[in-house]
Amino acid sequence: MATDTGLELLVDQTISVITNDGRNIVGVLRGFDQATNVILDESHERVYSTKAGVEQLVLGLYIIRGDNIAVVGELDEELDSNLDLTSLRAQPLKPVQH
Amino acid sequence: MSGRKETVLDLARFVDKGVSVKLSGGRQVTGTLKGYDQLLNLVLDEAVESLRDQDDPLKITEQTRFLGLIVCRGTAVMLVAPTDGTDEIPNPFLQAEGA
Amino acid sequence: MLPLSLLKTAQGHPMLVELKNGETYNGHLVNCDTWMNIHLREVICTSKDGDRFWRMPECYIRGNTIKYLRVPDEVIDKVQEETAKRSDRKPAVSGRGRGRGRGEEVVAKERGGHGGYQEDRGRGGRGGRGPGRGGKGGGRGRGQ
Repeated sequence: MATDTGLELLVDQTISVITNDGRNIVGVLRGFDQATNVILDESHERVYSTKAGVEQLVLGLYIIRGDNIAVVGELDEELDSNLDLTSLRAQPLKPVQH
Repeated sequence: MSGRKETVLDLARFVDKGVSVKLSGGRQVTGTLKGYDQLLNLVLDEAVESLRDQDDPLKITEQTRFLGLIVCRGTAVMLVAPTDGTDEIPNPFLQAEGA
Repeated sequence: MLPLSLLKTAQGHPMLVELKNGETYNGHLVNCDTWMNIHLREVICTSKDGDRFWRMPECYIRGNTIKYLRVPDEVIDKVQEETAKRSDRKPAVSGRGRGRGRGEEVVAKERGGHGGYQEDRGRGGRGGRGPGRGGKGGGRGRGQ
């Protein structure tokens, strides 16, 4: 089985995905396939802005197409819960340039 | 597993009916479906392309361009929908979100 | 769990599909295939900027134009049931409580394969996550 992407180690863990359009989606990885399509459960989007704190949008259950995924990262839940997102300012990511 | 039925959509139902096709790259064409194949190559008769705004390519305008009999290459077809019953409507999510 | 299994299970359910061009389509999934091509019924299309809307009785969307799909939460629970019913192969690992969190590499590897299912996901329901998912927002239109 061609599942040597290393994602199997992250199944049922909270991950952070950055999509090609520059969004950051955080959720629990429930599954994936060879094309890096992923199932994200209990997901939310983090919208970054320089003017206000991070806005979190509840998204729920998502299937993200692999085509559209730039980065998948493990999220350290302990570290993450210590973040004060409301005071975090950041430049939103630009979409991937092809 | 999934997809034992090869075609998700039976285009036979649309033959000789109006269809609206969105192509990758942003063009949008409506016409009468005359034929198709399993690769989603489509033959459209009396096809009309809806043109986009020069300044704002997000917007499709009322402007159109008559193309006549065309073949849409399957690989470029993003979306197929019947024109019959397709209408522009006011925001249907407003009341849902306000509730 | 494979994304396409989830999608297959979502047949008949409402969903939101965003295309790479930013348009969103809200409709009920009629059918899908292994390329993620999908057939929706009772569709509302929202333009990229979220200010124009169309309703269409049905539409076919080519899989490779999809950015993501948003499916109802309950569908993920249905996948377990359906794969359980469908699988005539060995019915996966027997009841293994799985809490969320780490130290589960072993389990994770085991389900690397195809179609295995968990009897006990030990997630204790899907409740308690604040406000619902909001009315199927069409076109959020980012960056206003």
